[in-house]
Amino acid sequence: MDANLVAAQLFSGLTSAMTLFLVASGLSLIFGVVNVFNFAHGSFYLLGAYFAYQVVSVSGIPFWPGVLLAAVGAGIAGGIMEYVFLRRIYGRGGEAGFQILLTYSFILIIDDVVKMIWGTDYKSIERPESLSGPFALGDLSVPRYDLVVILVGILVAAGMWWIIRKTRFGRNLRAISANREMASCLGVNVPLTLSLVFGMATALGGLSGALSAPTRTVTPGAGIEVIIGSLIVVVIGGLGNFWGAFVGALIIGEVTAFGILFLPQWAILFSYAVMALVLVFRPEGLLARKGSA
Amino acid sequence: MRNKGRKWQGMAAIGLVLVMGLADVALAAEKIVIGGMYPMTGRGGRYGLDSVAAAEIAMEEINAKGGVNGRMIDLIFTDDKSSTSYAVKVANRYIKEDKVNFLMGVVSSAVGLAVTEVSKENKVIFVGTDHASTALTMEKFQPYYFRVSNNTYQSAAAAALYATGKKEWKKYYVIGPDYEYGHRTWEDFWMLLGKKRNDVKMVGQAWPKLYEPDYTPYITAILSAKPDVLVTSFWGGDTVAFIKQALPYKLFDKMKMFNYDAGGNYEVLEALPNTLPKGLVLSARHHNNWPDTKENKEYVKKFKAKTGRYPSYAAEGAYAGVYFIAEGVRQAGTAEDSDKLVAVMEKMKFKLPEDPPGFTSYMRPIDHQVVQVQAIGETVPNKSFPPATMMLGNWKIYKAEDIIPSAEEILAARKAAKK
Repeated sequence: MDANLVAAQLFSGLTSAMTLFLVASGLSLIFGVVNVFNFAHGSFYLLGAYFAYQVVSVSGIPFWPGVLLAAVGAGIAGGIMEYVFLRRIYGRGGEAGFQILLTYSFILIIDDVVKMIWGTDYKSIERPESLSGPFALGDLSVPRYDLVVILVGILVAAGMWWIIRKTRFGRNLRAISANREMASCLGVNVPLTLSLVFGMATALGGLSGALSAPTRTVTPGAGIEVIIGSLIVVVIGGLGNFWGAFVGALIIGEVTAFGILFLPQWAILFSYAVMALVLVFRPEGLLARKGSA
Repeated sequence: MRNKGRKWQGMAAIGLVLVMGLADVALAAEKIVIGGMYPMTGRGGRYGLDSVAAAEIAMEEINAKGGVNGRMIDLIFTDDKSSTSYAVKVANRYIKEDKVNFLMGVVSSAVGLAVTEVSKENKVIFVGTDHASTALTMEKFQPYYFRVSNNTYQSAAAAALYATGKKEWKKYYVIGPDYEYGHRTWEDFWMLLGKKRNDVKMVGQAWPKLYEPDYTPYITAILSAKPDVLVTSFWGGDTVAFIKQALPYKLFDKMKMFNYDAGGNYEVLEALPNTLPKGLVLSARHHNNWPDTKENKEYVKKFKAKTGRYPSYAAEGAYAGVYFIAEGVRQAGTAEDSDKLVAVMEKMKFKLPEDPPGFTSYMRPIDHQVVQVQAIGETVPNKSFPPATMMLGNWKIYKAEDIIPSAEEILAARKAAKK
């Protein structure tokens, strides 16, 4: 096996991993702190992609500010969803059922809203000029853009670590995650924090969508595949665990990439096989620890 | 007096309801009702919405000329959600409550296979548009089913003829979505090519899941196998994602990409303005710029005027469906007697926008599959259909009769399926 090929595959696995991580970490964060399983999380990825299309391709804002705006836009949409809708079902009897219904219905609603605004044709954003080319790796080439995606993923992971571990906001998050009532008694503004967490997590999903828009298909329905992939990632890493999402995404990205290199006809199997193994031998997830959002 | 007034009022109301009911019945008997089922949400949404728009254009054209035998055409549509169980419910409701004369649709072959069973049970004709699995006209054939757009066998057969002529295409790699459509499109092609060439071989295959968002790991695997040709049996957004991701790897400089069933759909061409590479070998069930006839131009122009966009190929299928039904009713003189209609329709010729000069699409009695000319082209710069910057050109045209399965093949396939 050619070393260049292995390196190229390593990079492609890392790129998939970072895109997945951005969505899955938000999903996990919401579960860990807000205690909601947000089925609609993939839809914020979708919104991020469409927002990026709108600001970059239609309004002509430069690429990177556009991506940032798209992520913020998705975060605001997420914050609104939490503030207006989800908040009403916290603590209700049979909350889990309401959560599933409500967040699932948002998949359909967001899909239809996207269709009404942007139509059903596939949208495109061009990569910034300086990143559109390849990066030579012997006789193989790796897209330069992918290297940037990997870098952004790592920066976000580091930034999130800093927020969760080193800031007052992060301390509040951890407190709420451990015991919501107690945190509230100690003066943490729980409702505000929950809205902010939801907004932050959906902004990460939006960032993933915006970053993926130049390389993937921007179409209604694209959120579904992403939520399935993220679900696998958080199951492997441990639901509610931020670092679990990072490790889970790396495992899925690389196992899938190398699986495909050796056995392309079994491509679909790999990520599910890893998930099944984890469920059998460590059903709580690889990095699960109580209260470690 | 007041009481009496009330009584009269009541009587009048009842009378009115009765009269209206009668009028409704009379109207229903007058109109030819087509129950359309298309996905209008999610991934297939574009196909569904285009189909609805084109079917309405056909209806308006026919009704403007006074309808068929003095009867107007009426279309009703329901989003089938690309779900088999849901579409079966809709089809049953159409037949039992809406009393439709015909069923028409659907985009997904899986849904088509379910609806054809409802059609068979109730002896209501189901006109298939767009969905392409050969099974519907081969193994799962039933007499009340007709398909007015070509199936995967026809595009695969045309592709096999195209590839036969390409002496330098020897090493093949295939990548496609892992479900019936993806596999069948490839298998028919490979089987037919194998009959013509013994110097071709497959150097690899990959079957990602349908709607896979990320193909990059596959792209390196494909590059390392160094094929001459990459056959892709993707459709729609999957084709778009694959091309976007393969571009920075310079994959299209190293091999030909061949997508002969759905790759040349306008929605793909328009999705990649400025970046779609030149020289991809593609086809589709209808092309906006081929044939260069008055009929095709008119059709495309009308669609653009109605919707503000150029049609994807699904649209022409639905347009064909309405014309097929209208012509059948005209010739049979009935919209109610299914058996009489079948007898007429299975031998019928009907002119479509996609017919080149001197050819008229026709139905074959043995499989109720429309017989049509197939054109395969290469992407070439062409800005006449914005936002697309590339359209197909350098056409190779395949005669309708050269790309259909023989009667023996069909009978053998049906016999094998019964075992």
